[in-house]
Amino acid sequence: MQIPVIRNVLEANEKKAEQVRARLRSGRILALNLISSPGAGKTSLLERTLRDLGGTFRMAVIEGDLQTTNDAERVAATGAQAVQINTEGGCHLNSDMVSQALDKLDLNGLDILFIENVGNLVCPVEFDCGEDAKLALLSVAEGDDKPEKYPLLFNLAKAMVLNKTDLLPYVSFDLARARAFASKLNKDLRIFELSCRSGQGLDAWYAWLAEERAGKLHGR
Amino acid sequence: MHEMALAQSLLSMAEEEIARCSCSRLLMVRVEYGALAGLMPEALRCCFEMLTSGTPHAQARLELVRLPLRLRCPFCGTTFGEDGEEDSDARNALAAHCPGCGELFGHIVEQGKEMLLSRIEAV
Repeated sequence: MQIPVIRNVLEANEKKAEQVRARLRSGRILALNLISSPGAGKTSLLERTLRDLGGTFRMAVIEGDLQTTNDAERVAATGAQAVQINTEGGCHLNSDMVSQALDKLDLNGLDILFIENVGNLVCPVEFDCGEDAKLALLSVAEGDDKPEKYPLLFNLAKAMVLNKTDLLPYVSFDLARARAFASKLNKDLRIFELSCRSGQGLDAWYAWLAEERAGKLHGR
Repeated sequence: MHEMALAQSLLSMAEEEIARCSCSRLLMVRVEYGALAGLMPEALRCCFEMLTSGTPHAQARLELVRLPLRLRCPFCGTTFGEDGEEDSDARNALAAHCPGCGELFGHIVEQGKEMLLSRIEAV
């Protein structure tokens, strides 16, 4: 028997993601899904942000990690709530994992939830976790052609952070090239050049977070 | 690397569909995927075989159809696409100027992100 069907292969994940999104919306919690290759500085960006904005916003982190709890410990050391998801080799977080992690968090009065995905520029992009926006993180210690190699992430992301700019004098990363290609893929992409180590450029990132949070609060 | 999760989802959807038609054994499953969907066909095939071997669906064939990238220029409305069928062709098209007006930015992906279960054969 021939059975014609048109169903999205990822529909189960997307259905759950909508439930997560509704739950976060009812608490007016801004949720950002951080995606980068391993070592680009997702945890460092979170550590800085949690410390610097800890007095302004209530924030929590869902940490995706293949094996260890190292990142969750670093985040917890800032005083923010952190829940660890060990994917045990799995290359991405999905909406069901995030839904279960939400059960372990105190969502009362929470302003911003960061979902730190597993370090990988391909797989996490396909799996909606119920976030408001994906954030692409790239460090200047990597190739400036990353947006060309992994177009879907940069097409779908709302913002891109170019981290480790303090290393620019020592590497051959072409900021203009990375920016140009990412902008071609996504003309509305907000781009932040910053260094979590020196602190340079963080203000613009913080201002954007505050804007996004205000948008969420007012239901925009 | 995420192909195992895709194969699991695919198989459970296909089983759901054939149960609705009172069939019990899959013969063919067709997936249409966009050029930007990040799918590795060989990896998906391999995962699909791992999941079906030793089950009633062991003979099921996985048909993978790649949907070429199609872009639309928001300024002049021209639609254009890739020249070949490789991922590099899709990337080149993404980096190209609009053939209608030359605009470089803002091209809208009309086709290329899909991942669809589109046809099943079963007995």
